[in-house]
Amino acid sequence: MFGDLKRFDTAPSQRLDWFRQLIDEVFPDGRAADIRAVPRGSFPMINVARSDEAVHVYVFAAGLAPDDLSIDIQDNVLTLRGRREPVAGNDEQSRARPVFRRERACGEFVRAIALPDGLDAERAEARHANGVFEVVLPKREELKARRIEVQVA
Amino acid sequence: MNEVVHQHQQSQPETQRSDSREPVALLPAVDIFEHADALMLIADMPGVTRDSLHLEVDNNVLSLEGEIQLSMPEGLTALHAEVSGQRFARRFTLSHEVESEAISARIDNGVLSVTLPKKDNHRVRRIEVKAA
Repeated sequence: MFGDLKRFDTAPSQRLDWFRQLIDEVFPDGRAADIRAVPRGSFPMINVARSDEAVHVYVFAAGLAPDDLSIDIQDNVLTLRGRREPVAGNDEQSRARPVFRRERACGEFVRAIALPDGLDAERAEARHANGVFEVVLPKREELKARRIEVQVA
Repeated sequence: MNEVVHQHQQSQPETQRSDSREPVALLPAVDIFEHADALMLIADMPGVTRDSLHLEVDNNVLSLEGEIQLSMPEGLTALHAEVSGQRFARRFTLSHEVESEAISARIDNGVLSVTLPKKDNHRVRRIEVKAA
């Protein structure tokens, strides 16, 4: 589903990230950026989707165990905090070895994202599988989509 | 888990198979570093499972591909997407010192670790300096 989402993705792929960032810096497009927008490639990456009943947040945090991520919500701002340990091979003993690429983020991170209003944080649930966390925040009853029956006059 | 690496010694014509089928492939972030007896490659592929991962060595090129498997309910509308794609893909050219028969890989919490062992005669040997 997110694969169809072209309106948020003006670059054809992440391959152009560095180029986009460069262009963004050199030629700011003059439009106001969302106050909580981040450059692409931040860790962890976040997708948000909504259904009639709930808002679903997908956090792409490879390498984090369920205990490594803390998820807080206040008002409508979701805050993700955690730490990703460097892989074995970055320790002191092997630091003398050549490193050819180090693209993966490690260490502490905090990310916050604004969600739509009217979510019931009390009934929120989170799941984890294969390095992706899914947070489901149900909408408050009074804000759920409702079908209005047309009555025969 | 050696069986996840498929060998294709026969050099096949470059078909651009993966590129034409699905134009949007995400580039996984990788760390690559060297041990005395092996090269190590670590790739972030969140949402990729052991079954949706495809590793291949073809004509000295290592291909990593993986489908993102998310269990999403029907009828979702996207509000915000930093990951817009269903698939990770990246390719690396191997040097001749890598023993491609012995490559092994594992995926754990969306982190792929590939060990590329070096051939015996390419391993680091320390040369002792003798006293005169």
